[in-house]
Amino acid sequence: MSKLSHPAERLGLDRRRFLELAAGSLGATLLAACDSMGPRSAQGLLKFAESKNETLERALFSHRSMDAPPAGATAAGQHFPSYFVSDQVPVWDETMRGVWRLEVGGMVRRPLRLSLADLAALPRVGYKLDHYCVEGWTAVATRTGVRLSDIANLAGVAPGARYVDFASFDQGYHESWDIESATHPQTLIVYAQDGHYLNAAWGAPARVYSPVKLGYKNTKYLTSITFMPARNGGYWSDRGYEWYGGV
Amino acid sequence: MSPTVSAPPTAHPLTPGAPTQAPSVRRVRHHPIVRVTHWINAIALTIMVGSGLRIFNAYPAFARRGETFCCYPFEHREIPASLTFGGWLAGARNWHFAMMWVLVANGFVYLAFIYLHGEWRDLVPRRGVVRDSFEMVKFYLGRRKDHPIQGKHNALQRTAYFAMPIVGLMAVVTGVAIWKPVELAPLTNLLGGYVWARYWHFWAMLLLVALTAVHVFMVFTVDPYSIPSMFTGSYREDLSPEARNARPFRHLLPRKRARPTIP
Repeated sequence: MSKLSHPAERLGLDRRRFLELAAGSLGATLLAACDSMGPRSAQGLLKFAESKNETLERALFSHRSMDAPPAGATAAGQHFPSYFVSDQVPVWDETMRGVWRLEVGGMVRRPLRLSLADLAALPRVGYKLDHYCVEGWTAVATRTGVRLSDIANLAGVAPGARYVDFASFDQGYHESWDIESATHPQTLIVYAQDGHYLNAAWGAPARVYSPVKLGYKNTKYLTSITFMPARNGGYWSDRGYEWYGGV
Repeated sequence: MSPTVSAPPTAHPLTPGAPTQAPSVRRVRHHPIVRVTHWINAIALTIMVGSGLRIFNAYPAFARRGETFCCYPFEHREIPASLTFGGWLAGARNWHFAMMWVLVANGFVYLAFIYLHGEWRDLVPRRGVVRDSFEMVKFYLGRRKDHPIQGKHNALQRTAYFAMPIVGLMAVVTGVAIWKPVELAPLTNLLGGYVWARYWHFWAMLLLVALTAVHVFMVFTVDPYSIPSMFTGSYREDLSPEARNARPFRHLLPRKRARPTIP
């Protein structure tokens, strides 16, 4: 064993040279990594990991898992952030577009066009829920609205519908979901927050909200709910964020 | 007999007072699986920390909206971008959620290997580890002249290398808790809820970084001869810190010959 020559010596490197090379290459790697997106060639692997993660997330998903904020949690109230992709707060202009209606269509037997009054007349549920933002913050608010599963039953969803798209009048913002998450008991079409009808900053006149999805999946300024056989991406999902976005 | 003394695998010819010549004692110090998992771990941890800090920068605070948080003095102050990885939030998340499987799989291979192969015996704390660690600290601070006798690792190393997988497990558990706070609500609640689980995840990262920083510092200032051994496995026992009586920045060079003995 003592006759073993050091591999670095066999390469014609003395220890000092070896250490210099090792430190140099490690340093170069770290510098290249700083605030970068990482190697382009890794994107395929990242996509592969995302699809495997989705499989696991779907396996973990259950209609019996409920969100319940801690008893002592303070409602965010006016500290609840407003968010939209348009240049300014999207407001439904009745003089231009007529009365707002929520279209429920796609693979359904009875397409619906629900006014805000129609929504308010449907069985009402209210939950105090966490909002999980992809950025890492949470906020507590009481969400009042109609279970999407109730609306789905009303419209009579065809058996082949596996996905649901939620579209908005916020410059084409939309996100599609798996139907299992969409029919979770805490997935709501929300028209009131903290006891008041939604204001424009929070997505008036109605939005989808569920604690089982990250914030960006929960389309505000809702105009249509479409049941589909395949997913059709989404505003942030098409820009690099995880499509599933489960919590 | 001191509890730290394991039967030495070879004689240490250069321990002070040893009367022998100084043969070059090359030994295979690290099994190939340990070497490979070590470097995969180093790369995976670097990417996990960098991408995690990038994710943290999207909301560099812990407080729920509309609340304050007691225990983080730097709320809403971003980590310097040069310490982050992933470029933007989605990029960092994609890296984080891919690399986590590399980290977990690699950790599993490493732990299974050291369990099955017996290496865990060099890593679990022994009776007297507190006293022996204290002796090492005394030696490093110059309050003790001779290097305490050790086996493969000294008491401080044992503690650090034993802590590493435990803190790693803490990072994984707290990470899962903030990944799935609804689907795995019982786990998240066990950690005090989402806000606290996120805080513990941050602390797990801090501990991993601290352990790694001390480890790298000690490698370069006490035992740089161990660096090649993490690539090739081969290590010269006659150049060990114990043989050189080395403390940080002291006795870095090998001793030329054994101390002459008086017949």
